[in-house]
Amino acid sequence: MAKILVVEDEKNLRLLYKHDIEQDGHTVVMAANAVEGLEAIERESPDLVVLDIRMPGMDGLEAMGRILERHPKIPVVLNSAYSSYKDNFMSWAADAYIIKSADTTELRTKVRELLEGCPGGPPAKP
Amino acid sequence: MRRKAIFEDVLALVLAGGQGERLYPLTRDRGKPAVPFGGNYRIIDFTLSNCLNSGLRKIFVLTQYKSGSLERHIQQGWDPILSAELGEWVYTVPPQLRVGQRWYAGTADAVYQNIYLLEQERPEKVVILSGDHVYKMDYCRMLEFHGLKGAIATAGAVVVPIEQASAFGVLGVDESWRIVSFTEKPADPQPIPGRPGHALVNMGVYCFETEALVRALCSDARRETRHDFGHDVLPALVGTGKLFAYPFVDENRKETAYWRDIGTLDAYYEASMDLVAVDPVFNLYDREWPLRTVPLQLPPAKTVFAQEEPGGRIGLLLDSIVSGGVIVSGGRVERSVLGPRVRVNSYARVADSVLMDGVEIGRHARVRRAILDKDVRVPPGLVIGEDPEEDRERYMVTVGGVVVIPRGMQLE
Repeated sequence: MAKILVVEDEKNLRLLYKHDIEQDGHTVVMAANAVEGLEAIERESPDLVVLDIRMPGMDGLEAMGRILERHPKIPVVLNSAYSSYKDNFMSWAADAYIIKSADTTELRTKVRELLEGCPGGPPAKP
Repeated sequence: MRRKAIFEDVLALVLAGGQGERLYPLTRDRGKPAVPFGGNYRIIDFTLSNCLNSGLRKIFVLTQYKSGSLERHIQQGWDPILSAELGEWVYTVPPQLRVGQRWYAGTADAVYQNIYLLEQERPEKVVILSGDHVYKMDYCRMLEFHGLKGAIATAGAVVVPIEQASAFGVLGVDESWRIVSFTEKPADPQPIPGRPGHALVNMGVYCFETEALVRALCSDARRETRHDFGHDVLPALVGTGKLFAYPFVDENRKETAYWRDIGTLDAYYEASMDLVAVDPVFNLYDREWPLRTVPLQLPPAKTVFAQEEPGGRIGLLLDSIVSGGVIVSGGRVERSVLGPRVRVNSYARVADSVLMDGVEIGRHARVRRAILDKDVRVPPGLVIGEDPEEDRERYMVTVGGVVVIPRGMQLE
């Protein structure tokens, strides 16, 4: 299945997303802030990125701008506790915007849809 | 001057990053929008004058290459006449490298990389303009048209005879001016319905609903395109049915509509020579459509000597545009554009030429069909523009046979 990068500053949420997304058979790579996330993209070449917005240091919107500059095709899911960023023009470049919840169903559904939307179906991983 | 509404909810973005490679060497030390034109002006002044005359008073000028002289020009000439306190301003914005770590890939990328500016301003509509073109256009009329059509985006288009259209991006429209196709330099351009023999050429003047613009740019940024409005962003919106072409109305009010992308040295020369024609198509003197630039504190132009006896010196200016501070002292100037502080000395002859700021022509020198960039000094007795072969050995000569002397070149 696919490799998912989760960029999230709250440790408990990282563990929750890792656990739940792995249930769907994906590999999960984690980064605790935007800078680590940008490094992880180059190192791990993930198939999709789940990106928190409000983080210490560089925020998720700026990180997304940088990600898309180098990898315009990689699907990005913004995952924020706040709906207010939905009005931010930069957030419109994301493939999806999800409000954080303890129930990860919506996030996982969106991840699945986006991976299926990739040309040729979900990328095959060895 | 008729009274104009001020559009408080419309933001103007002037794309002024053009390198103007085909205008080299005039663009050796400045970007294309900062190239002097018409004596006092620089090319960008025409677009900025259009903005002011159309009631657009919130203007970002997006710069890129060699922007120093452009920034100074705007700061000195344009910034002081707008009132930031009343929400009217013109700001130059160099690349912020906020989204990308690179130069702008295309016109759409230039705006995408500056989405932050739209985020801050949150205008209702955005007018996107090129700082490279010379024309007089009332964007207010275009905005009215845009509103009446319920468009999400409107592209300004100039009507040209169909045989000239193949050199440009051509817009195909239906009877209601809805755009149905974009074709870049088509061999067989689509005519305008009801106007056989004519086609619509994309001017690079766009009006967008802000939200539609941002969505279109975000989506374009994710695709492998040239990130260009005319090539990529607008063609992708054709399917919405809400993209319209606005037929350009020239405020010169002449028979032929005047819109020039002064892209080459020969085009620059021809456009300059049009200005000194008896009845120019592009009129600098229309008080209904004032053209502004940096006001220079210069003494009035002057001619010296009127010795009508044989061998006497006569300072003569005929059929020419003459800027402030010019002195024609015992020389003769015909059909030429003289920038500020030009000096023409005794027995010199200048004809059919463009002399920029500070050019000096020495005694007995002759200059014909030439463009002399700033501060060029022609030594006494030198002849330029009379012997094409000799000129080609020493100077740059255009396809059209115009000699171009770059700024600061030492002539002997």
